[in-house]
Amino acid sequence: MRNKLAAAPYLLWMFIFILAPLAVVAYFAFTDRSGAFTLSNLASLQNYTPIFVTSVVLALIAALICLIIAYPVAYFMALADPFIQRLLMMLVMLPMCMSFLLRTMALVALLDDTGIINSFLGNLGIAPLPLTRNNAAVVLGMVYNFLPYMILPLYTVMEKIDPRLIEAAQDLGCDSRQTFTKVILPLSKSGIISGFTMVFVPAVSTFYISNKLGGTSTVLIGDVIESQFKTAYNPNLGAAMALGLMVLVLLCIFLMNHFTDDDDEEVITL
Amino acid sequence: MRRTLKLCTILTFAFLYIPILVLVVASFNAGHDIAQFQGFTLYNYGELFEDKFLLLLLRNSFIMAIVSAVLATAIGTLAAIGIQAMAPRVRSAVMSVTNIPLTNPDIVTGVSLALLFSFVGLLLKRQDAMLGFATLLIAHVTFNLPYVILSVLPKLRQMDPSLRDAALDLGCRPYQAFFKVTIFEILPGIISGFIMAFTMSLDDFVISYFVYGPKFITLPVEIYTQTKKPLHPKIYALFTLMFFAMLLLMIIMNLLQSRDEKRRRNRIFPLGAR
Amino acid sequence: MSKELIRLTDCVMQFDDDIVLDHLNLYINDQEFLTLLGPSGCGKTTTLRIIGGFQKPTSGTIYFDGQEMNDVPPHMRKINTVFQRYALFPHLDVYENIAFGLRLKKTFSEEEIAKEVTEMLELVSLRGFESRKVNSLSGGQQQRVAIARALINRPQVLLLDEPLGALDLRLRKDMQNELKRIQQQLGITFIYVTHDQEEALAMSDTVVVMDQGRIQQIGTPEDIYNEPKNAFVADFIGESNILDGTMIEDYAVEFFGRRFKCVDKGFAPRESVDVVIRPEDIDIVDPSEGHLSGTVTSVTFKGVHYDIIVDFKGFKWLIQTTDFYPVDAIIGIRLNPEDIHIMKKSAYSGAFGDYSSYSAEYDEISDPEEPSEDDADEE
Repeated sequence: MRNKLAAAPYLLWMFIFILAPLAVVAYFAFTDRSGAFTLSNLASLQNYTPIFVTSVVLALIAALICLIIAYPVAYFMALADPFIQRLLMMLVMLPMCMSFLLRTMALVALLDDTGIINSFLGNLGIAPLPLTRNNAAVVLGMVYNFLPYMILPLYTVMEKIDPRLIEAAQDLGCDSRQTFTKVILPLSKSGIISGFTMVFVPAVSTFYISNKLGGTSTVLIGDVIESQFKTAYNPNLGAAMALGLMVLVLLCIFLMNHFTDDDDEEVITL
Repeated sequence: MRRTLKLCTILTFAFLYIPILVLVVASFNAGHDIAQFQGFTLYNYGELFEDKFLLLLLRNSFIMAIVSAVLATAIGTLAAIGIQAMAPRVRSAVMSVTNIPLTNPDIVTGVSLALLFSFVGLLLKRQDAMLGFATLLIAHVTFNLPYVILSVLPKLRQMDPSLRDAALDLGCRPYQAFFKVTIFEILPGIISGFIMAFTMSLDDFVISYFVYGPKFITLPVEIYTQTKKPLHPKIYALFTLMFFAMLLLMIIMNLLQSRDEKRRRNRIFPLGAR
Repeated sequence: MSKELIRLTDCVMQFDDDIVLDHLNLYINDQEFLTLLGPSGCGKTTTLRIIGGFQKPTSGTIYFDGQEMNDVPPHMRKINTVFQRYALFPHLDVYENIAFGLRLKKTFSEEEIAKEVTEMLELVSLRGFESRKVNSLSGGQQQRVAIARALINRPQVLLLDEPLGALDLRLRKDMQNELKRIQQQLGITFIYVTHDQEEALAMSDTVVVMDQGRIQQIGTPEDIYNEPKNAFVADFIGESNILDGTMIEDYAVEFFGRRFKCVDKGFAPRESVDVVIRPEDIDIVDPSEGHLSGTVTSVTFKGVHYDIIVDFKGFKWLIQTTDFYPVDAIIGIRLNPEDIHIMKKSAYSGAFGDYSSYSAEYDEISDPEEPSEDDADEE
């Protein structure tokens, strides 16, 4: 069919601006400043192992917390009547398109030593709590920023579950907990996986959240990559780190899809 | 059970919206400290409209969002039509590449494009002079394309293929069949793809940050620079205005969507299928 | 009759390893009402799509008025189609749906279009529905719009792909008469695809029975019903008892160890044949007067008649009778020579058991949606 030709401009774009840049990343990662082949960039990645580990751990914790918070919300939305569903859906998506920089600043304003919460506590005569400049604050920032990305895919799969399946489960003798564990949970698995991915990936690669909410010791991969391009100016090392990050993310996605031996297609919803 | 769920939902939405509320309140704050409300004022809004630089950047951001969304919508819609016509194996290969900008961390996408531009600059011996409107536009179109494709493709799949056959049968050439019939069927997907691309582009910071040049700066990039020192409350005023604009856009989008769904339902029922 | 209009020679349609049409040869006359009849997946819709130009045969040629038209795109063919689920354009109202074809030609003024559309609406009895939204119409009304939309281009041939499939029984009968009337009024060729044998027999000048990508029989409805060529046709069209028999000589056949007179000839001596006896052709008589006698094993009331199953020495026959016989009654039957139909043995021999009632149950299962033969590009 001639229809296929319609994709030609896109395919061209795809090769030049999606695939070629990845090749260039690899090129920079394997060369030094003069353009000669080297493995030293990749070798020096091992110096950053603790940073990789911190990033992955914090991102996993954030994704897990998101899942715990988002699951009941998505379930409530799926059960609500259509008008409420629409309204809540809109309210979930709205923060996603507002400047996350400013929203994170607001979070800082809330949590700071002289921030809104602490001044409120101060009025009650409670000494200021160390709410910010630590790893917990970074995780909170990640959860706050990426929670909608967990709610949306979960809601999308739950909303598709045929209510007759739930009725059938009840009819066959499931109580409400069994209905949940035996029907709803397995059927929402693909949503859990894609939600987890959609939170984990931006969380593991963030540099802004750790910058604003983390202590001096909280340095994530994103921070390091950013500094290679913006301050230290070592694009070769930066490329190597970006390559490492990409491999890490692909590995995590692969493991997640594998361990859940899920053969459903991945649900990407935005 | 239901009540617990409701409580969870309310708390979650409170969590999502309290920081936004803080910013909105701060925009009306007479004092400069976001944590201390010192009286209601509209002064910050006046300041905002006095700030030529900020307004220029706002204009830049809108230009970037519109141009990149239009381009991405055109290329992406065509792409979806082409992809739909491909053999399953080719289609799934193309779709996995399409998903790359979605699954890759934004920072990797940004860095990879930045390196591509500097690589090409190296070849052309122009170095950083490359970075500017064009590079920013390319980056925005690149990350917008998957959103457009993924919102148009399902509409194409839902469309009754005999509608296109009917148009051809009645005398349409293939391109006429597209403009007279297919486009109306997939229009909701095209519109939502466009809106998604527009908002993504308007709000993008991470990717823009790596490929912008001093000649063309967008608002999020500037806000990032400004957050390094205490923010002027006029920024909060700008945020508040954009928040309500976005709210309005979402409501409109929702109305369009519900109309589309009603139409679809009506189409199923007369045939007595359900 | 009239001259030949469409010819398909040696058409093969193949998707991967799946042969949908197997060397199909068919010609269609001008002004003919021809029906392609067969079960799901028999290739009838593919044949229609080849004629309409939506698919190209893997090999073989299609001629229109003597001109080869394999490479002529649909919009250049003087053929229009009424699609399976109507395929009305949901973004246009009734008037604009019908005017669609004329507007494309750009040679019609607004008044001419209005005149033509009105004429078409009259033809399908839908005056006054001009500005209605198509999805506010009932199935039957949508059907009429689809017909009017296809006919406004004044095609020489109208293709109809299971057009009545989505309608209820009563409406279907009305539309059958309506379609026949329209065809005669316009004097154009109709090519009709259906899996409903009653519909095919009621409307067509010529019926083409298809199965597994091959034509099983072509003939008038009477031919097809009275002289089925093989067990498949006998079984698919109406209900039948199919028995093994041996042709003794011209006009004489043997089955159940008895010799019967028949009206068929031209078989080899002692050739094995399939014998078809329609359940409504069997006369029930007193056991002592019958050619055969057997025991009633089940009785079903069908309104106009009873379906009774009768056991003759272990072979079960279906007999239709207006008189009631209780279970376990012993009855005799008589067979007239013209009620005994002899068929050559084929691949279908023995495939359908003693008696069969193919149509009713089978249709219901496959009714709503024929798995389209172009599924190949679906994931």
